[in-house]
Amino acid sequence: MTNAITIEHVNKVYDGKVTALKDVSFNVEEGEVFGLVGPDGAGKSTLFNILTTLLLPDSGKISLLGMDVINEYKSVRQIIGYLPGVFSLYPDLSVEENLQFFAVMYKSSIEENMELIRPIWKQISPFSDRKAGKLSGGMKQKLALCCALIHCPKILFLDEPTTGVDPVSRKEFWDILKSIRTQGITVVVSTPYMDEATRCDRIAMIQEGQILGINTPSAFIRDFQGKLYTFRSENIFSLLNIMEQCPLRCNYYPYGEHCHIAFYDDVATALPQFEQFLQEQGQSHGEIIAIDPSVEDCFIEIVQMRNALNQTQP
Amino acid sequence: MILRKEFIHIFRDKITLFLVLAMPIALVLLFGFTISSDIRNAKISVLDQANDSQSKKLIEKITASGYFQVVSYPNNEVEIDDDFKSKNIKLAIIIPARFEESLSNEHEASLQVINDVSDLNVASVLNNYVRAVVHSFTEEYNSKTGETTPFDITTKMLYNPEMNSVYMFVPGIITLIMILVTALLTSITLAREKETGTMRMLLITPVKKIHIVLGKVIPYMIISFISTIIILVLSVFVFKMPINGSIPFLLFLCIIFMLTAASFGMLISSISSTQLDAMMITMMGLFLPTVLLSGFLFPLNSMPMVFQVLANVFPAKWFILAIKDVMIKGAGFFDIWKYLLILFAMAVVFISFSLMRLDKRN
Repeated sequence: MTNAITIEHVNKVYDGKVTALKDVSFNVEEGEVFGLVGPDGAGKSTLFNILTTLLLPDSGKISLLGMDVINEYKSVRQIIGYLPGVFSLYPDLSVEENLQFFAVMYKSSIEENMELIRPIWKQISPFSDRKAGKLSGGMKQKLALCCALIHCPKILFLDEPTTGVDPVSRKEFWDILKSIRTQGITVVVSTPYMDEATRCDRIAMIQEGQILGINTPSAFIRDFQGKLYTFRSENIFSLLNIMEQCPLRCNYYPYGEHCHIAFYDDVATALPQFEQFLQEQGQSHGEIIAIDPSVEDCFIEIVQMRNALNQTQP
Repeated sequence: MILRKEFIHIFRDKITLFLVLAMPIALVLLFGFTISSDIRNAKISVLDQANDSQSKKLIEKITASGYFQVVSYPNNEVEIDDDFKSKNIKLAIIIPARFEESLSNEHEASLQVINDVSDLNVASVLNNYVRAVVHSFTEEYNSKTGETTPFDITTKMLYNPEMNSVYMFVPGIITLIMILVTALLTSITLAREKETGTMRMLLITPVKKIHIVLGKVIPYMIISFISTIIILVLSVFVFKMPINGSIPFLLFLCIIFMLTAASFGMLISSISSTQLDAMMITMMGLFLPTVLLSGFLFPLNSMPMVFQVLANVFPAKWFILAIKDVMIKGAGFFDIWKYLLILFAMAVVFISFSLMRLDKRN
């Protein structure tokens, strides 16, 4: 496998104050779906802007298919497709006019690349006369994806394509991404939704401008250090305060409507101790069940371990 | 293609389109009929110390001009003073004794005009009216007697002998409209692309930046060109404004100015990130100086030095100078090439600066 993208020691500081990216280095292989996972403000969009030649890094080196994004940005622009984080099409143009416009901008035509966009176009073509601004969130993103694919790019950048999109459309969107991958297009996608990350070939976890780890989703889950349990509780959030007094080596956090707790001691002794602790604190709780960690659990663990490391080595 | 898309934008936004095309008509009619600085039937007094046939003729001519209404014939200068106070006259004319005699014998005659300068504008307009009337009186006298220059009139009335204010405001309105349509809309349309994020989408396409910008600017130039023609047609047919210069050259001048205005709009959009910013900056930074510092409403040479220098920075001043020369004096390319050069140079500087800003990747 050759590298579609190589990123070496990229730094970016805004206005000399806000550090957006700190020594970011990683490679993306050709033809993979690479996920960039992290909370809002982690630096995902900044990295995308740099990768799509819209922003210059302060330092570092990036090449896309061997072309330097800083010096050879003109040729880079020919081979990339970009779907920005915010809706960036013309709201007063119809669906078809938007697509037509971007096709001509790339000296291409809708017909030429119909094969590539057909699965998506089938879904939005019933609305081809509608103004793009009047589409639903999912439809907007599908149209934007069409526009990003219209010149048959080698690398496709999708900045949070499913933010603000309903669950059904999100699933459809990921199915489309899988089909794009079979065309040999490298896809780099960022998302704040950890559950989507499992659908990527590899993911990079990013927080506060730093890459925390890069691996396949299954490897992240395999490498999960603790023993993970889940239970129901009436007071998910007040438990957070109480857990500070818990003597066990564990990590507790709310997870949707449930509580997750990861133990880092022998579970055979830790679990009864924990139940006893909850009882002493007068906390009722549901059954404590062992579960397999998700990518989000992995992310939380990695962040937690990193914070603990930083505290011991200030 | 950007051109076509821009036209779709324009035609979809019906309100703006309507405003842009209706505004010139409204402005011309408004200025032409209401804000006209022509004064009719101003009250005056005439002290006729000569009381001969020529002085009577002159008085008759003054009355017949329609500008003046003689409300009293005082007997001495003290009474004139009273007329100013009690009869609210704007102006008094004193015809000296032996008026006819000096005309025919000494080929020279003088008039004294007393102005109420509490309203400077009115005073200067009326003063000019008097001069115009006296001028035509002289010409008539000349043609009758066959003599030459019996009247020593020092002020020459060139180009606008009737002090018609249409001559003043048509170039001004053309300037305003072109600034409004071209600069404002250009800055807004570019800022809109930035605001919606589509500018980034355009930038990562292989299309050249200059094509993006031209594609966005040309539609507005076409619209503002149409507006300009509307204004010209209106001013010629409704207000009888003459166009003494060649019409193709006049339109060429307008195109050059549109280019300058559009480049100014680009400059503004390159430093603003939203449509609102662009609008405010255009209004404050371009529209106001155009109105105040172009010499359109307020004469430049009566301004403090600072403003006179400042006025040079704004393209409007040069354009108004040029268009007045072409429309009224019938100037050609070699008369006004300096102004053209200045406007063109401004456009080049603004365009290259904003292209540089657009290209900057941070």
